Amino acid sequence: MNAVNPFHAKPWPVWRALNPSGRTGLLLLLTALLLCTAVAWMLQHSPSTMSEALREPPGAAHWLGTDDLGRDVLARVAYGGQISLMVGAFSALIAVSIGVAVGAACGYLGGAFDAVVMRVTEAFQIIPRFFLALIVVALVGSGIWKIILVLGLLSWPATARVVRAQVLVLRKEEFVLAAIMGGASTTRVIGRHILPNVAPIIAVSASLQAGSAILLESFISFLGLGDVAHPSWGLLLQQGQLFIRDGWWISTFPGLALSLTILGLNLLGDGIRAAHGDTTGTS
Amino acid sequence: MHAPARLAMSIGRRLLMAAPVVMAIVVLTFVLIRLSPTDPAVLLAGDAPAPEFLEKIRAQYHLDESIAKQLAIYVGSALQGDLGTSIYFRKPVTELILAHAPVTFLLTLTSLVIASAIGVSLAVLAASRPGTGTDTAVTALSLAGYSMPAFWIGQLLILSFAVWLGWLPSNGMGSARETFEGFEWFVDRVRHMVLPVTSLVLFELAIITRFTRAAMVQALRQDYVAVAHAKGASQTRVLWRHALPNALVTTVTVLGLEFGFLLAGSVVTEIVFGWPGLGRLFFDAIFRRDFPLLTGCFIFTSVMVVLANMVTDAVVSVLDPRTAR
Repeated sequence: MNAVNPFHAKPWPVWRALNPSGRTGLLLLLTALLLCTAVAWMLQHSPSTMSEALREPPGAAHWLGTDDLGRDVLARVAYGGQISLMVGAFSALIAVSIGVAVGAACGYLGGAFDAVVMRVTEAFQIIPRFFLALIVVALVGSGIWKIILVLGLLSWPATARVVRAQVLVLRKEEFVLAAIMGGASTTRVIGRHILPNVAPIIAVSASLQAGSAILLESFISFLGLGDVAHPSWGLLLQQGQLFIRDGWWISTFPGLALSLTILGLNLLGDGIRAAHGDTTGTS
Repeated sequence: MHAPARLAMSIGRRLLMAAPVVMAIVVLTFVLIRLSPTDPAVLLAGDAPAPEFLEKIRAQYHLDESIAKQLAIYVGSALQGDLGTSIYFRKPVTELILAHAPVTFLLTLTSLVIASAIGVSLAVLAASRPGTGTDTAVTALSLAGYSMPAFWIGQLLILSFAVWLGWLPSNGMGSARETFEGFEWFVDRVRHMVLPVTSLVLFELAIITRFTRAAMVQALRQDYVAVAHAKGASQTRVLWRHALPNALVTTVTVLGLEFGFLLAGSVVTEIVFGWPGLGRLFFDAIFRRDFPLLTGCFIFTSVMVVLANMVTDAVVSVLDPRTAR
């Protein structure tokens, strides 16, 4: 099975395996990472220093202009990206970890356990994730880690379902049966033989989950429940809404950064899926 | 059985299956209120309440009783449509929601109809020419729409068409300065709807096109498509009569599954455009720390999502008799 896995190739394995749109996605994501790390550190402006230059349009001193308090928009976008990318990465980590565990257990064990857990998963999936997250954040408070935790804990069912479907197929493969015959323990069969073959699907899931977490966090921020101490791209958009008539740059650039990053994650997800053999574009 | 009878049957059966989910949502809301670090009496009464009002709340919600009894009372009253009283508006939450919901549905359903028509057509167009420029353009467009926050699309539309071009109004449902009557009133309404509906259409279009295109590509690979071609059916007929009905099963299912996300898009879009619907209510509830209103809005939207899933399930069972069990 490993032989056909495109991620076990020579140098630049991921790059080689991806189609053009997948590569575009990877580039967009790397650009966002670069903006939030290297560029953020090289800037002379801090994201929170206020200046006399209030709502100044993009120019030589402030490349992307300044906001209503004279803060540099480029610096705010670069540092806001750190928060948004963190939300994406950690929410996806939580969601995918739970999803893989539940999906693998259901797919491998099957039977009554599978039936009960999948029913619960389906019911859980109907409850609107965004509104539930909104209620929880309103009740427990708007800390950025609370938002990350809530989004992560509410987003696992999608991963669980795709992983389960794949494990269900792999379980009947000969190399898995051989491992079981050879006396490997259940955890070893799942961990060493099944999961490595589900890896591309997990990567797709992680990438799409990260995008959707960043998007949902921006919705939450836009409704006034963002973490003001850690201004993400979503929070910048909410603050920019007030000045949309006389400071288009205040919300346009954070929105552009947010959309291009999510687009990158979605393109990358689709690209990995295509590299793994599904060419329809979506699951 | 005929289609209408089958539809009624399957809606009836699904109503029975939806009941436990609605129940679970109400129980979940209760648990969340109890789990929050704040005293529920304070949550229900608002910040800095008078002591006697706090006592009244405690008595009204039986907060001095056991948890089990409280749960029973909460679920009982919620299922009877009593979602408490809004602290800020000083009105029953149910009344407020019912007053605001139609305006939201006007926006959501109008945009959904337009987005479905355009989205399905684009998806058929793209899937019929896989790998061509058209296909790439449609795919890229839908992926871009899928990646943009709905409210940012709204902000960009306001910037372009209200601020820079000055063609359309950007706020509210009607002009505040003038009063119109008859046909002029209607025109004024429509003008106010154009921008919010357009931003929602772009948002929904992305989802519909993305999933319908994928389903069409799958459908076109099936044997029955080859058979239809072999029988001499025209390309148009194969696309719209043979492949599309099968692809639509996916579209309808996705619309049900994503209905919560679509409503979320409506809620944030309403705020951008000052549209006086549920979004406004959510925003006020959060801004004023009005928890009865917030939990009420949550229960209402969740029930709407459950109902939407039920309806799309039922429609799928008519579109595709194989799924009707």
